Amino acid sequence: MKKFIRRNLAGYTFLLPWLIGFFALSVGPILSSFYLSFTDYDAVRAPQWVGLENYEYMVQYDRRFWKALQVTFTFVLISVPAKLIFALAVAMILDKGVRAIGWYRALFYLPSILGGSIAVAVLWRQLFDNDGLVNTLLGVVGVEGPNWLSDPRYSLTTLIVLAMWQFGSPMLIFLAGLRAIPQELYEAAEIDAAGKVRQFFAITLPLLAPVIFFNLVLQMIEAFKSFSGAFVISGGKGAPLDSLLFFTVYLYNEAFSFFRMGYASALAWVLLLIIAVFTVIAFWSSKYWVHYENERN
Amino acid sequence: MTNAALDTASTAEIARTYREARQRRAKRAGLLKHLFLILTSLVMVYPLIWMLSSSLKPDNQIFGNLGLWPSAFRWENYGNGWNAMAVSFTRFFWNSTVVTVLSVIGNVISCSFAAYAFARLEFNGRTIWFALMMTTLMIPYHVVLIPQYILFLNLGWVNTYLPLIVPRFLAGDAFFIFLMVQFFRQLPRELDEAAMIDGCSPFKIYWAIIMPLSIPAMATAAIFSFIWTWEDFLGPLVYLNDMRDYTVPLALRSFIAQDSVTAYGQMFAMSILSVLPIVIFFIIFQRLIIRGIAMSGLK
Amino acid sequence: MASVILSEVRKAYSGFEVIHGIDLEVQSGEFLVLVGPSGCGKSTLLRMIAGLEEITDGTIAIGDRIVNDLPASQRNLSMVFQSYALYPHMSVRKNLAFGLGNLRMPRDEIARRVADAARILQIEELMERKPRQLSGGQKQRVAIGRAIVREPQLFLFDEPLSNLDAELRVQMRVELAGLYNRLGTTMIYVTHDQTEAMTMATRIAVLNKGNLEQVGTPYELYNTPRNLFVASFIGSPKMNILKGISTGQAVELAGLGRLPIHVAAGDVTVGVRPEHLAIGGAGDISVEGTITLVEYLGSEVFIYVALPDGQTLLAQAPGNARHQRGEAVRLSFNARGTHLFDAAGLRLETSQ
Repeated sequence: MKKFIRRNLAGYTFLLPWLIGFFALSVGPILSSFYLSFTDYDAVRAPQWVGLENYEYMVQYDRRFWKALQVTFTFVLISVPAKLIFALAVAMILDKGVRAIGWYRALFYLPSILGGSIAVAVLWRQLFDNDGLVNTLLGVVGVEGPNWLSDPRYSLTTLIVLAMWQFGSPMLIFLAGLRAIPQELYEAAEIDAAGKVRQFFAITLPLLAPVIFFNLVLQMIEAFKSFSGAFVISGGKGAPLDSLLFFTVYLYNEAFSFFRMGYASALAWVLLLIIAVFTVIAFWSSKYWVHYENERN
Repeated sequence: MTNAALDTASTAEIARTYREARQRRAKRAGLLKHLFLILTSLVMVYPLIWMLSSSLKPDNQIFGNLGLWPSAFRWENYGNGWNAMAVSFTRFFWNSTVVTVLSVIGNVISCSFAAYAFARLEFNGRTIWFALMMTTLMIPYHVVLIPQYILFLNLGWVNTYLPLIVPRFLAGDAFFIFLMVQFFRQLPRELDEAAMIDGCSPFKIYWAIIMPLSIPAMATAAIFSFIWTWEDFLGPLVYLNDMRDYTVPLALRSFIAQDSVTAYGQMFAMSILSVLPIVIFFIIFQRLIIRGIAMSGLK
Repeated sequence: MASVILSEVRKAYSGFEVIHGIDLEVQSGEFLVLVGPSGCGKSTLLRMIAGLEEITDGTIAIGDRIVNDLPASQRNLSMVFQSYALYPHMSVRKNLAFGLGNLRMPRDEIARRVADAARILQIEELMERKPRQLSGGQKQRVAIGRAIVREPQLFLFDEPLSNLDAELRVQMRVELAGLYNRLGTTMIYVTHDQTEAMTMATRIAVLNKGNLEQVGTPYELYNTPRNLFVASFIGSPKMNILKGISTGQAVELAGLGRLPIHVAAGDVTVGVRPEHLAIGGAGDISVEGTITLVEYLGSEVFIYVALPDGQTLLAQAPGNARHQRGEAVRLSFNARGTHLFDAAGLRLETSQ
């Protein structure tokens, strides 16, 4: 018994803050949230059990739910690949050795740091204002830009552009990954009659696959959780016409504007499920295109 | 070169022809590359420059014209904006500072404790706890948001800073634990072993050996923690109702939520100020930040 | 099969020249070894021939075509790298077939060539493995296999055996020599190990600090080294170096005696290989000294003798010679076994 205590005392003492946090702030809330999703709860009176009603309503009657799904999926499925492709392209250009690469790296990364801030969201809203910078620039080349903020067909584009503006973060990771590929492999490939394009597909991509995968999963999860931009630009409600009703915004409104906490919990679990499914799909598909260098067979 | 020319030309001349052709090609390619990079940089940075210039322009010049240089410098935008709301921005910046500094301290301490346990100490169930810790990385905040809110509501913590700060002291951010674990793993175990032979307790080892050697990792964690906490919006949005308690992002959003916002200059001025601390941190610590990203990205 | 002609080839990095005007002709079908100490430029030269480094000045011709502007992928040569450079994510089979696929060769032709190479190099059981599952020697064979499937006009080797342990190195040396005998293709081989050079080359090119010191057969380099550097570099163990002064009639070696050699008057350097130093006996020069170290190799013995003036000479004796540390011995040698170099280190032709 003494041995048991001695062996574990140090470890658990250091782990204690995290353990408390884990149970109080993660496990507890997750279980509680699951429970609440089957209730009607307004944070004042006790929760009323309603069984699957929340979920039924969500799927069968709640137009806004489906709209939120559509908006969020569109955002994720467009912005994530676009961001990654751009990040990879710029990383490859920088990798070849450029003077002042430090400047470029920092410059490209800065938007990623600022991108989640309210200041940038505010800025973005003004950029896409009807008389804002974007339309003014378009006017210079003779194109009449739409009313980005009030036209439901174009409002999502503003957020997709905002997401792409933050390509610096995956770019840095790609840069590090590219650096890890030995130059000699490219030399051997060149001697093996492989041109630049062939080298990219036969060497760069396969060896970069783990990094691509990592970035893909990370960016995907981030995109699903996107909140501040949509919140500020849409005025907090997903306007215009719910075209910016990101799932997270919808959830926030249900929970803290209408105090339909039970329903909001159900929504939260759907979000969790979606992210989990996508992550699992990503992991499963990785079997086919990601090969790790240090794997043991 | 034709074969006939080859016969008459000397080696030096031949070499020079090839060399010059090659240099011309390289120069052209280099030019294109730089053009692309410079263009992209401009596009990236332009919104920020535009924001800065708009903060100094008279309001009617902000929209519809491309000129970046203000015709008249409205420095007073900054002063006016500062006091434009019922509560002065001095209060907001102070609030943000308090919340952020405490969060950073809490994060660094509690996450390094947990990381030390995971990376260096042996105890039953370590693998399981570690796996569980990693899964928390994938939990969207929104799933735990509501129950946490209820919890804090019942504790009477809503409308205070406690819900924002206390979780940081409980290693709530698994990302930093992960970052530090990666770093600790690179420190040679022999250091711990030597100290143990010298009779040091695990706490002493942590304090005197691991921690001083981990300054880079802790600094990286501190910087990221600072930036993310300073910019945090959802947390303060949910838990702070009294305007006097607002942090800067929340205050900024209130600024624009006022219906009659035509004081764009002031709005931009306050936006600039609100991100200024982050930009300054970034400029000073960029090498550390960039290295931290790369390290977290590649196991 | 191709010849390679280097004409006034120079290489400079940002104005700093590392290879100074090299002229070298590699004959078709020969095994030429580029040898020299670290930093002499041998790898750089090889890479310029391969097309992996730009040629700052001068021309390189492979076959009868000047290749200054020809990219490496079109030069129809193969290269074996020091660290093998196998594609880590491809199986051995795919590693071998990769280059052929890029050349759009028909599938069955590729399969035939890959099978042939696998058989020659005895790697048939490894075909489906990935490089990380192979040992150093196996990786080296796959790298060589990748080079031979292309049936190129020229083989380039960049210190391919440096990463192998000593025993494997000896074995691979024999195999590479066998490969050369079998294929007969022109081969250019870079190494810092003069033993590899001597045993494998038809001709050796000695480089030092970006200059070509001498090109010749191993026999020529060993017996008529053109300068002091080549004399010291080639031959293991190293040649003994003595300082002397020529009077025109003879060469005076300080404290050691006089050699009956006629060369121009002035400062000279005299080189004597260990095998030309005899223990005991008599000769043009005879000195007394004390043995400081005896290295017994079985077939021969290397004996280090300290002379009264402080110099140490190394003598080679047959394996059955019995000598001990601290023993006083007499060393002798004749003018016939010596090499003379002038004050600038260049070979002096002697008459006696």
